[in-house]
Amino acid sequence: MTALPSAGLAAGSRRSKRLGRRSRAERWAPLLFLLPAVVTLATVSVYPVLDGMRLSLRNTMLSTQEDEFVGLANYLRLTGDPQFWSAWQHTMLFTAASTLLETLLGMAMAVVLYETFRGRGWVRAAMLVPWAIPTVVTSKMFGWLFDGQHGVVNWLLMQAGLIDGYVNWYGDSRTALLTIIIADVWKTTPFMALLLLAGLQTVPHSLVEAARIDGAGPWQSFWSIRLPLLFTTLLIAGMFRALDAFRIFDLVYVLTGGGPADSTEVLSTLSYKVLFSGLDFGYGSALSAAMFITEAVIALGFGLFIVRRMRRDNG
Amino acid sequence: MTDNDDHVGKPAAVGRRQFLKVAGITTGGVLAAPAILKLASVASAADRTNITFASAKFFGKRTVAEMVDVFNQSQSRILVRYDELPPPSASTEVHQGLVQRLAKKDGSPDVFTQDVVWIAEFAGAGWALPLDEYVTADEAGAYFPGVLAACKWQGKLTALPWYVDSGMLYYRKDLVSSPPETWEQLVAAATDLVKAGKVKIGFSWQAKQAEVLICDLVEFVTSNGGSILGDDGKTVHIADDAAVEAVQFMYDTIEKYKISPPDVRSWDEEPSRTPFTGGDVAFLRNWSYVYSICQDKAASSVVDKVGVAPLPHFEGGKSAACLGGYQYGVNASTKNRDASVEFLKWLSSPETQLLFATELGLAPSRPAVFDSAELGKAQPFMQTLKPVFVGATARPVTPKYSQVSLALQSAVSKAVTNGNVADALKEAKTRLEGIVGT
Repeated sequence: MTALPSAGLAAGSRRSKRLGRRSRAERWAPLLFLLPAVVTLATVSVYPVLDGMRLSLRNTMLSTQEDEFVGLANYLRLTGDPQFWSAWQHTMLFTAASTLLETLLGMAMAVVLYETFRGRGWVRAAMLVPWAIPTVVTSKMFGWLFDGQHGVVNWLLMQAGLIDGYVNWYGDSRTALLTIIIADVWKTTPFMALLLLAGLQTVPHSLVEAARIDGAGPWQSFWSIRLPLLFTTLLIAGMFRALDAFRIFDLVYVLTGGGPADSTEVLSTLSYKVLFSGLDFGYGSALSAAMFITEAVIALGFGLFIVRRMRRDNG
Repeated sequence: MTDNDDHVGKPAAVGRRQFLKVAGITTGGVLAAPAILKLASVASAADRTNITFASAKFFGKRTVAEMVDVFNQSQSRILVRYDELPPPSASTEVHQGLVQRLAKKDGSPDVFTQDVVWIAEFAGAGWALPLDEYVTADEAGAYFPGVLAACKWQGKLTALPWYVDSGMLYYRKDLVSSPPETWEQLVAAATDLVKAGKVKIGFSWQAKQAEVLICDLVEFVTSNGGSILGDDGKTVHIADDAAVEAVQFMYDTIEKYKISPPDVRSWDEEPSRTPFTGGDVAFLRNWSYVYSICQDKAASSVVDKVGVAPLPHFEGGKSAACLGGYQYGVNASTKNRDASVEFLKWLSSPETQLLFATELGLAPSRPAVFDSAELGKAQPFMQTLKPVFVGATARPVTPKYSQVSLALQSAVSKAVTNGNVADALKEAKTRLEGIVGT
């Protein structure tokens, strides 16, 4: 990695010697073209992150007008805050469970949709409907489906003899998070399926055909040919999904508001409450920073895997 | 019905084309009227004192904006510009909008409206002008005492009541002859009705981890003679015996008496209301908006079967209703104090309160207005609520209310879910002391 920039610099200085007499405008032109992108990124992405970090070191509270530098006090409070840790655990649990389920189900859907059959185009389009529905609508819909009194899910399970009494899905601290995971899986699996379908299409058909001629059954050609070749795509899709799932907000906000008994409180809803309901910008920013750090670690983990995998694939 | 007859009758008599023409012109005129009126008032804007009024959006037959126009046309010295905030259902956004405006301290908005739980916060931040010198003792005595008490911060009046709402008990008057006065009576009546198969649910209330849980909490705790914070706003009483007993009762309605389904733990106002108007519930704790839904044939199967009463209390306690509603405030950094106070006086006058009641359906905060014949004619139900509002009790009064509420929501939700009431409330006490006890 370190070799690259210095090589670039050396090439640059050689070129500038050669082109020394060129007008200044021409030399600055490339930078000038980059400027809008840099300014945009800096204002909408870099600056807010840095400002958030700055706020997390202050006790800024809009309603009491306090605004002083307090060092790491907010972070110390964070480490001893049971509400933060329980929200952190719920978020991690939600992220892991929903990403895993969505990847498995998405994979299955992608394999089916890869095959040619009548009406495949329609099915592929229809499959995306859950993903296209606004999440707030999904939340309301699952609110009705899983309603403890009149929900159709209870009725169906009862008819099938799987439960002997109505389950109070999102009103019970043992099942509330599960209900939210189910809603999220329903909504986002198509997105995973689409990404993986695109990946499947890059697997050379000749390899699958050759395997079949050599006597491999469908399972074997999936395990030995398609899955290994799809692995990088799988990791990238998984990373996207995990980072997205980590920010879960709307389903929780609409369906349970974090309850009952904090059992569905996740980091996004907690920091929203602290920031915009409590207007405690200092502590809220520390919460957001903790989210940012956790997400960075998750991304780094996936990133390392992906890079290693790509190196192996290419070398 | 008469509306329909008109629509059918007219075209036949005048011919379709002509009817459409007339209808078009009339509609156009009606739609343009506010704009024309506005132009007229803007014309004379130069020689009037301009002030702004920020308020959450309310509407009934008329809107807050139209009420502001009524004031603008009633006199020619002051011109009020209306700064519309989101509706009160988006409370967090309204709060945020107000804080952003007030924190700038540039005098705008001059007059604003605020939820009752923000009064201490705005007063503590020095954003709300103390109003004691503008409101005489007689004048102050004309409001419901609980509502006026909620407008005070550290003994100073920093807000004036606008409209009042509070928790109340809805009951099926076809099933019970008179509403229960104590919680014990409610449990007994509800148990009997469920046993007899008359209803599926005895008592519906709200235990969703949300602001409404705190409203219900205040009612249960206060009706047992307890409180959440002391009068100084700094001592914490949530772990005292009276409060623990009351929260234990909240849990018991679900797990011991089984008059409330476990679903109440995920119910806020609307989910708790739907089974009641569907005819499945004997008793419901909710706000005043439910009554008109009960009487709507299209949405309710309990038309004319519903009565409203003050909430029950514990043996030896007094009925308590959580105070809701919005109040007026004047910006401490206003540059037009006289004009702002004059507008405030107009807003809070009995005549304007009556107008808000008949045109927007907002219940007056002056008991005297309830007795007027006009209100009886326009809102007969509202008139019957007077005794309910008398017992209205404020939620904890502290500038850090939002944080207090979040901590309580978490603790009380745990208590009514797991049943470890004493532990959950002890933990809440520690957290609340960390927030308010400085």
